[in-house]
Amino acid sequence: MGDFIKHPVVDMPERMPAPAIEADKLVFTDDEKKQMKTWVSRYPTADGAIMRGLWLAQEKFGFLPPEVIQLVANEIGIPYANAYGVATFYTQYFKEKKGKHVLDICTCFSCQLCGGYDMLHYIEEKLGVHKGETTKDGLFTIQEAECLGACGSAPMLQITNGPFVHNLNKEKVDALLDALKEDKIPAFTSVTLPQDEDEMGGNRRSDVSSIESYSVRPVSETLS
Amino acid sequence: MPKITLDNDTFEFEGRPKLLQFCLESGVDLPHFCYHPSMSAPANCRQCLVEVGMPQINRETGQPNLDESGQPIIQYMPKLQTSCSMDVADGMVVKSHRSSELVKRAQKDNLEFLLINHPLDCPICDQAGHCPLQNQTYKHGPEGSRFEFRKVGKPKHIDLGPNVVLDGERCINCTRCIRFTREISKSNQLTIIERGVKNYPMTPPGVEFDEPYSMNVIDICPVGALTSKDARFRARIWEMSKTASISTVNAKGSNCYYWVKDNKIVQITPRTNMDVNEYWLADEDRLDYHKFNDNRPTGPSISGAQVSWEAAYKAASDCLSGVDGSRILFLGSATATVEDNYLLTKLAAKVGASTPMYLAHRKEGHGDNWLRTDDRTPNAQGCERLGMKVADVAALKARISNGEVDVLHVLEDDVVASGVCTAAELAGVKVVLHYYNTTNETLSAADVAIPAAMAVETVGTVVNEQGHAQRLRPAKAIADVNRTLSMEIGKCRADRHGTPFDKWYEEANLINCQPGWVSLPGIASGLGLELNYKGPRQIIEELSSSNDAFAGLSYEGMGELGVRLSEQGVTA
Repeated sequence: MGDFIKHPVVDMPERMPAPAIEADKLVFTDDEKKQMKTWVSRYPTADGAIMRGLWLAQEKFGFLPPEVIQLVANEIGIPYANAYGVATFYTQYFKEKKGKHVLDICTCFSCQLCGGYDMLHYIEEKLGVHKGETTKDGLFTIQEAECLGACGSAPMLQITNGPFVHNLNKEKVDALLDALKEDKIPAFTSVTLPQDEDEMGGNRRSDVSSIESYSVRPVSETLS
Repeated sequence: MPKITLDNDTFEFEGRPKLLQFCLESGVDLPHFCYHPSMSAPANCRQCLVEVGMPQINRETGQPNLDESGQPIIQYMPKLQTSCSMDVADGMVVKSHRSSELVKRAQKDNLEFLLINHPLDCPICDQAGHCPLQNQTYKHGPEGSRFEFRKVGKPKHIDLGPNVVLDGERCINCTRCIRFTREISKSNQLTIIERGVKNYPMTPPGVEFDEPYSMNVIDICPVGALTSKDARFRARIWEMSKTASISTVNAKGSNCYYWVKDNKIVQITPRTNMDVNEYWLADEDRLDYHKFNDNRPTGPSISGAQVSWEAAYKAASDCLSGVDGSRILFLGSATATVEDNYLLTKLAAKVGASTPMYLAHRKEGHGDNWLRTDDRTPNAQGCERLGMKVADVAALKARISNGEVDVLHVLEDDVVASGVCTAAELAGVKVVLHYYNTTNETLSAADVAIPAAMAVETVGTVVNEQGHAQRLRPAKAIADVNRTLSMEIGKCRADRHGTPFDKWYEEANLINCQPGWVSLPGIASGLGLELNYKGPRQIIEELSSSNDAFAGLSYEGMGELGVRLSEQGVTA
């Protein structure tokens, strides 16, 4: 958002883009079609199923170029324009091709104060690309994210719309990037708040075994 | 009957109207941008906010609690309500900006938000002068902007389709255009893309906004975000006069306004008539106006040589006199008014010819059961009701090539372009032609060519495909007409509010032509038939008493919205 305030210009998407996915690959399997039908049947109107449909398509194709959005819209049975409006509304639907792992580094208030930008810049330097760009090997895309709702464990990042990595510091980032290069995605981690540490062995969630303790990070380098 | 109180005035209501619609109909001018009576109410512009309260009901007795003076205590809702999405209820008490400081403040503050990223384009914006946002800002808006940052830049002058241009910065995201394509035209070609401060309406990639009703979004856009590619930058709203009339491109007879500057049609916009076209107008009706301005005749002519009107009438009546009626062929026109065709039938009867026929102009498969029809003429039903029949082109062709026709009198049509005959085949036939444009292919074969006033220059009646009889009004002046004296011609702002010295328009581009109800009596008098009508109004009076199909029809009855005709005339 920082750049947008300095230079608030909205770019227009290309209106007549060349297809990014070959026509013969642009199909859903019977299982996927069946799955979409199930979703459609759960809502009063077919519009309700569009988000899950887009999600399925993004997992299948990796991102959502216009032709994929149109395919989903046809499959769900809603107008293409409506589906396109939904897809562009949410940043977590990727409209262009991203790296294998998308790192959303939070730089909203809490993370910013605890060093979110330090982490962002560190990752940028380490991978040699700027935010919004993808590394040459196609492995990582770095993005600056607004609040992801984990202020208690700031600074944090999210890996490809999936698991959060909490309480970031440089060592943790190094270890994370090394693991991701070997395709080891960290498991979901529950963060225990200080007031809960005495109860239930510090883990209030019965469904996960991996726990991380809440810790107060040093403030951002740029602030101190 | 249930009652509602608006700013201390009590109104009765029926059914469950929406509060905003009820206020507008009751004369309370609530500001609004996103609400449109024919579409769903998303309540996203937040301009129609009002205070809404209901009488406080005692839970034990079920009766309203009363204050010391015996009046029911009104319990107001804690927050302001959007009146566009609120149903009117019995006993409801509403405070609008006329009586509530809170509502006034809300309107002003919401306007300030809307204007944060709205560019100060007004001096070059086509919407300026009839812009709801501009009007509302002048009336109730803040004095200045407190926003100290750069305004957001969005795509400008984007061709959404062949007829509509988008200016993303001006958009206030009311979504009227989106809802039009979703709910009214059902083309689903538009959507709001992106989110928050970055959003604006757009077609999805690979789609062009090319539906046949696309230009309606220009009218319903409450700002200048969507403008007409055809009309933009051509004239300011205050330079044009507008006349309420009828579109003559197809047989639907959509109600429209003709916008005129310097006696040229500049733009055509829809006029609301819930019996015919509701709020809408097809693109084909809006764009087919160049025929009114271009290739117009300069005056009557005999065999190509310009003559006076008297000489032309004399020549035409000479053509018709002294010839056996069965060898004269009269062709009426589904483009001409009922009045003119009626006069032609009287002329034909006078010389003993059979009732005029008319040429059908149909484009099969073009119609869509909405505002576009297969029939490309406005008045085929009017001709039918006059007892005129569609001409069989093949039979006509045979009659002309067999030499069975000595005189051909064509009212406002083009026999050569219609394929009835070639210009060469008319060499032995005397042709009297009433024509609109110099592109008329029959013109070269015409012995007497009489320029006819078009739908935007004449007074008359047309009957649409459903039998709706409606009036044409002159939108622009012709050579003999003084537009400031002609009460029918619409006024521009200079006419209404200017002094005699404020001549913002030119008295130029006056076409030397005559409406059929002037030229046909001119020809008829040479044949000893006096058609002394004061004007089309009197012709319709006569027709309504002599022809059952027009029984009860009058100019007063038709008014601006027209009347429905059955076989037995005007239906109740």
